[in-house]
Amino acid sequence: MTATALTIDVPRLPVGESFDAAIEWLRANLRPLFSFIGMVIETCVDALTGLFAATSATQFTLLAAAVVAGALLARGVRRPVYIAVAAWAVLYIAELAAGAAAAVIGSLPAPLFLWAMGLFGAEYVYPPLVLALLLLAALTAVSLALVRHRRTWLVTGGAWAALLLVLVLHFIAGVQLALLVAPLFVVLALAVAGWRVALFAAIGFLLIISMDKWDNAMSSLALIIVATVIAVGVSLPIGVLAAYNDRVSAVLKPLLDFMQTLPAFVYLLPAIAFFSIGAVPGVIATVIFAMPPGVRLTELGIRQVDPELVEAGEAFGAPDLQILGRIQLPLALATIMAGINQVIMLSLSMVVIAGMVGAGGLGNDVYVGIAQGNVPVGFEGGIAVVILAIYLDRLTGAVTRFSPAARAARARA
Amino acid sequence: MPAVRAEKLYKVFGKRAAKAVDLLADGRHRDRIAHLNVTAAVIDVSFEVRPGEIFVVMGLSGSGKSTLIRMLNGLLPPTAGTVEVDGTDITRLSKSGLRELRSRRISMVFQHFALFPHRSVLDNAAYGLEVRGVPREERRDAARRALALVGLEGWEEKVPGQLSGGMQQRVGLARALAADTDIILMDEAFSALDPLIRRDMQTQLLELQATLGKTIIFITHDLNEAMRLGDRICVLRDGRVAQIGTAEEILNDPANDYVAQFVEDVDRTRVLTAASVMESPIPVIDPSHGPRAALRTMRDNQTVSAFVVRRDRRLVGAVREGAIGQAVREGATSLDGLVDTDIERVHPDTSLADLFAQAAESPYPLAVVDADERLVGVIPRVTLLAALAPATPAAAPAAPTGDAKPVADAEPAAAPAADTAPAADAGPAPDDAPPPDGAAAAAPATSDDEGSRA
Repeated sequence: MTATALTIDVPRLPVGESFDAAIEWLRANLRPLFSFIGMVIETCVDALTGLFAATSATQFTLLAAAVVAGALLARGVRRPVYIAVAAWAVLYIAELAAGAAAAVIGSLPAPLFLWAMGLFGAEYVYPPLVLALLLLAALTAVSLALVRHRRTWLVTGGAWAALLLVLVLHFIAGVQLALLVAPLFVVLALAVAGWRVALFAAIGFLLIISMDKWDNAMSSLALIIVATVIAVGVSLPIGVLAAYNDRVSAVLKPLLDFMQTLPAFVYLLPAIAFFSIGAVPGVIATVIFAMPPGVRLTELGIRQVDPELVEAGEAFGAPDLQILGRIQLPLALATIMAGINQVIMLSLSMVVIAGMVGAGGLGNDVYVGIAQGNVPVGFEGGIAVVILAIYLDRLTGAVTRFSPAARAARARA
Repeated sequence: MPAVRAEKLYKVFGKRAAKAVDLLADGRHRDRIAHLNVTAAVIDVSFEVRPGEIFVVMGLSGSGKSTLIRMLNGLLPPTAGTVEVDGTDITRLSKSGLRELRSRRISMVFQHFALFPHRSVLDNAAYGLEVRGVPREERRDAARRALALVGLEGWEEKVPGQLSGGMQQRVGLARALAADTDIILMDEAFSALDPLIRRDMQTQLLELQATLGKTIIFITHDLNEAMRLGDRICVLRDGRVAQIGTAEEILNDPANDYVAQFVEDVDRTRVLTAASVMESPIPVIDPSHGPRAALRTMRDNQTVSAFVVRRDRRLVGAVREGAIGQAVREGATSLDGLVDTDIERVHPDTSLADLFAQAAESPYPLAVVDADERLVGVIPRVTLLAALAPATPAAAPAAPTGDAKPVADAEPAAAPAADTAPAADAGPAPDDAPPPDGAAAAAPATSDDEGSRA
């Protein structure tokens, strides 16, 4: 029996071919744009990986300075902090451009440097480190001179002590960097999310170090952070737009579904076509996959704000942007943070796929595990991803506590 | 110039709004344009709000009052008609012009307070000035003063969630006051509060209004609230104006059955004031006249008591027929010692509810005197009772109620006819119709339904 008589000839639409052609066209015509984007992403990922996995003395010092500056800003001391930071930034750029910091160093008493060089066994004075130390010193002076608040002083003193301890332990005693950076993450967890999360972080990071996955974990963390920042930066304005405009919202919904459900491998292909192998296509694929909840929850959060409050803003003559910035966004912050939290979680789940296109990190471990049937390597990589995921989830979940609306809710209770 | 003037205002939601306005303008009920698939919220509403008055817009839910108030500050653009604020037609204003109007001329208080939960009470109160770009310290000072005005000192640093409902609405009020606009819109501002708090807030609003002299447009569905607060009341029904008038006008002279039904259950004793029910004070007696003249005046008017009033209308006291009659028989020539000076006096603004006890205890009708002790009217007990009856024709004349007490002014059925004694009286006193006495010509506010029984 032949059934061919009933076969209806459906013409084949060249869907895949058109997609490919579109990519080719974009590649041919927008190459400079893509290479610029790729360069920026790559620089960011590299810088962050360096910061986490190969922290320099300068970075430690700047971190301490940032802690002191944060404490000062929290006390409402703004102008001196801004001046100090601006002066540092100007000097730093001048140093990068023309080596101007040498002049500053030259004007400082020489014995100081000789002593420090002797201590750390360095052969020359590294100008950015000096600038960072000067910034920290300036902020410390501000803290001691302008603030009459014991906790601020404690933070300042603690920052100095921690910095000196880290520098001495690493550069003199030779303790490996992972054991010094991990405690900083633990302290961050303690400050933001409480002792339980800190305890988990301590055990978890220790486990990562013992599995010898620290460098890969930090490289994945850098990739995730870059991807998250880009995803949030893109999804926030889109979400706001969707909240304001029903038509945008209606168009966006299927588009977001598409982004979320299209198998990630499918858009890895064009990402590789545009950005070749490496961290960049990984980041791009991660951004596309992780962005939708950011958009959705931003839209939801803004739409959920009591319309009477928005009307109150209008009734007192506030411009639209002010209503957005001072009423809608602060009140939607908890929901938006939940969205950011989801973005981070989805980014983590993309780590493995990013590893397949050569982004390195934990994804690479898992990929190697799969490719070579190496269960231990794959499993350890997976465990490290889980630890990172839980840590980041708890941390971002806790950040919501600092939103104005949450503070108000706590005050009410 | 009116503070706010609405002229033939329409708000119709839906695609075929213009067509709907045409039909509605011909007087069609909004239910009869259902085929256009539009919602007519406000239909042909015109009114003027005078500077410094409390203008209440009253109506049940769905009567369009919230839509109406939102057109007054441009939150909703009218479908047709104009709104003028201080003479400016705000329907022609640009978006930024409207913002300017709202931040400087009209502020608003909301039903559910609409306080920003993430800001302190102080920053909430300062919001209007913040929007206007007033420097931080200056606006915080203004907010502090406004909060003090509503009795919330010491709560500045709390967040709204820590305050009770009544206090939250005080913050809402302070926010409007701090913005220092001449006009305040209040959208069901007290409806979400429980009754005791609501009464407190009403009292406070009246006090604030008396000291600050703001123009307030107040929306409510509660007639008692409307009657208590409103200098004038606009009753809305199905988007149209049913009646605009003072509380007394609406109560005593409802424009249609709907309004009449509406006001049926109102506690009239709290709405009506002494001034609205009092009668002309006749007869009155000049203290310089003798007892004989006094007796004749009372007999002419067929009453058993009369108020003694100086030529400048200041109240001295009252006399009774019995005492005067005896004095005349004893040959007294002066009223000295016969005048009862210890009589009940009430202010024209006193509500009827506060008059009953005094009326029960006094042997005389209640004397209504103004701030200068001038007699402006009297309230016999019968009048007080009659005022409680709803203003339907059947109930108007309270009829001679044969009061047991002889001093009440109920007409004695067969009073001894006019005595001779032609003593010179203050004014001519014809027998039947009570004439305005020389000294008591002005008894201003008795133009209502009491005429039928005077």
